[in-house]
Amino acid sequence: MKRILLLLTLCITATALWAQVQLSATADKTDLALDDELTLTVQVSGVSGTMVMPQLPSLPAFNVYSREAAQTTVNGKTTLLFKYTMMPRFVGSTSIGPVTFKYGGKIYQTSPIAVRIYRNTPPTTAKQNAASSRSSATVSASAQAANDVAKLPPLERELATRAYAHTNEPYFIVAAVSNKTPYINEPFILAVRFYYSKAFYDAPYQNPTVSNLFMEEAGEAQGQQTIHNTIYRYEEKRYRLSGVSAGDASIGAASVSFRPGSSPLSVFDRFFGGAAVEPEQTVSSKPMKLAIRPLPTAGKPTSFYGAVGTGYAFSAKLDREQTEAGDAVTWSATVQGPGNLKTTADLTFPTVDAASSYPAAPQAGYLPNTQNRSYKIFKTELVPTSSGTYTLPALQWSYFDPLTHTYKTLTSRPLTLTVTPSTRTEKQVNFTGTDTTGLGIQTFGQDIRYVLPAEDLPPSALSRLPAWKGLHALVFLWLAGCLFTACFGKRVSARKQAFHTAKAQLKKVTTYENISDALAAYLLAKFQISTASLPLKDITAALARRQVPTTQVETFAALWKELESARFAPLQGQTNTLSHLTARAEELLGQLEGSK
Amino acid sequence: MKKLILVFSLWFTCMTVSAAQDLATQAESFYRAGQYAQALSAYEQELKKHPNSPYLYYNIGNCYFKMGSKGLAAANYFRAFKLRPQDSDIRHNLSLALAGGGEPLVPAGMPVALHKAFFILPIAELKGLVCALGWLVCILLGLWLLTRRGGKLTIVLGVLLLTCSAWLYMRHSWETQPLAVVAAPLAEVRSGPGPNFPTSASVQQGHLVEVLDSKDNWQQIIVRSQGLKGWVENTALERI
Repeated sequence: MKRILLLLTLCITATALWAQVQLSATADKTDLALDDELTLTVQVSGVSGTMVMPQLPSLPAFNVYSREAAQTTVNGKTTLLFKYTMMPRFVGSTSIGPVTFKYGGKIYQTSPIAVRIYRNTPPTTAKQNAASSRSSATVSASAQAANDVAKLPPLERELATRAYAHTNEPYFIVAAVSNKTPYINEPFILAVRFYYSKAFYDAPYQNPTVSNLFMEEAGEAQGQQTIHNTIYRYEEKRYRLSGVSAGDASIGAASVSFRPGSSPLSVFDRFFGGAAVEPEQTVSSKPMKLAIRPLPTAGKPTSFYGAVGTGYAFSAKLDREQTEAGDAVTWSATVQGPGNLKTTADLTFPTVDAASSYPAAPQAGYLPNTQNRSYKIFKTELVPTSSGTYTLPALQWSYFDPLTHTYKTLTSRPLTLTVTPSTRTEKQVNFTGTDTTGLGIQTFGQDIRYVLPAEDLPPSALSRLPAWKGLHALVFLWLAGCLFTACFGKRVSARKQAFHTAKAQLKKVTTYENISDALAAYLLAKFQISTASLPLKDITAALARRQVPTTQVETFAALWKELESARFAPLQGQTNTLSHLTARAEELLGQLEGSK
Repeated sequence: MKKLILVFSLWFTCMTVSAAQDLATQAESFYRAGQYAQALSAYEQELKKHPNSPYLYYNIGNCYFKMGSKGLAAANYFRAFKLRPQDSDIRHNLSLALAGGGEPLVPAGMPVALHKAFFILPIAELKGLVCALGWLVCILLGLWLLTRRGGKLTIVLGVLLLTCSAWLYMRHSWETQPLAVVAAPLAEVRSGPGPNFPTSASVQQGHLVEVLDSKDNWQQIIVRSQGLKGWVENTALERI
């Protein structure tokens, strides 16, 4: 029985040993965009027994957010299939490290898979490559040759040299700048590398802080470097910097906090005996001090807008060279060159005769597929007001060249604009959109009203009135007559009536006063002499002025005196005297009337 | 013989009336069919016979409007408006044509009702009204002078006469304004009467301008609302 058991054990052991465990890892794509997802498929075949999970490498460039597992058993042979879906975190070249599988006391590993992550859609060639590589079961795992530090560009050499200063450190950060004494607004690069020779996970990166510097991110990269016979991988982050003002500037420490070891796949893995969680570690770069140099004031041209660097290009153009008066033409000037042109001032377009100019906000950005070259486009809308051929003057744009320490000026070519007279016509109908009046009526627009019957309109009676010129004359005659009558008629008739009125009054006299009143009324009506307030002397003088004969004036004066005496000192035989004086008064009136 | 002449005269009158009606009907048919140039031609022929017909100017304006000439349309609407300002159709179309040139018919700040009241009568009728009021006031004044009666009524009518006279004066000033409408799509305003003077501004089609002076083929204009003054070629303007 013991022998049988021994043989059986030997058979099982032999079977297990003879079983050829095969491990492979494939990625569905090796070129992908930042918003793509990658599926890593790990296949384990030739195992038996319970399922054993493979161990993923550290994947700092990816977020693994889904995992699937499947198991098939045929004739006692089990095939395990694991699918990991992940999304990239950074742009650049990276690799999915070896997947480890422990089985039967042995460790199996796959080859690393190189992956390129693009900001946008990968180029076609990359896609084709990805398609071809998708069929490949494994990716070549040949190690990269050690970099020849001396042959590297200055910034990379600086970084590599600084990295060599670290010995026996599985994790460290180095940082370097391409220029330690830049001019104001001169572009330069800061590179920060996180070197690691061991796995890690949960590694948030902290950007460095800067003072007196303008900083923006310039991309990421991955690489590998052998330091003291140890292969290190690194994650590199680059920044574009430029000095804001002359003086000191500083770059603070960049840091990475991480946990050494392999990333546990999930909470379940941790709970059911997965990798123990290591304490968090932090590595930081050394802070740096820079000196920003001021730009020379001597020789600064008026067309200098703040650009510092070398290799600028400047051009100007019109969106069309022929237009109509009243139509807008875009006059644009483009500058391309190193550094961040966003921080430079806006170009001032010269004024153009016979055209209104409306400057637009400039556009600026970095040129694609270039590390540190940007562009800025200045635009102005020209609206020619009259026809003719106009020459738009050459534009100038200056920059400071830090290599020669001098200002240089770029000049565009003059442009010609031909403006033809406007042929533009207005729309016939002004549609104002749908408006609800609130009364169940919707208006859709306005148009002119329809033609009207062109009938002759007879002139109205009112409009014919001014033509009645005879009536005008008649009315004015009437008014004149009335006015004349009102002014002079009454006076004339009163004068004519004065004698008769006075005679009638004399016939009715009973007192001396009646005779005086009759005479006074006559004098007032006939000669406009008021006797009420005048002494006799003045009355006689007034009569004399009115060409009354002297004898009549004297007769009047004698009669008036007698009348006054009779009124205020009555005599005997008053009745005879009264009739006598009345007769004399009548006689006097007759003389006065006869003289006039 | 007399009978023959009478019959001939009747026939001639009937034929003339019928021909005029035919032309107006034809013009409307062209207009309805969208043949605005033909309609314009017919209306212009009619205008030669009836030069003071506001509706012919209105219809001509409609043709120009439909043909895209807002300046000429506005000029003709304006002529119609002067002859019959109380017509709502004429007012509507003139407002629309002037609005295209950015010039409102009703001045800014003036109530529309007041503007309508100001133009409620044609100037000929306004003159007739002033005339009639004048007569009435004269008669009443004469009576008052003679009898010293009806003084209050005379005063009321006198005030009314003065108001209407001021209204007539303002209307007359408005009517005799030397106005023009920009007929070209864009009138170039130059600083002097000639092409050698630089262009200082441009005025859009349909804009109402005041003419100050003229030299050869150039007219000096002013746009008072904009404070713009300059010289424009005759061809770019249509005098009203």
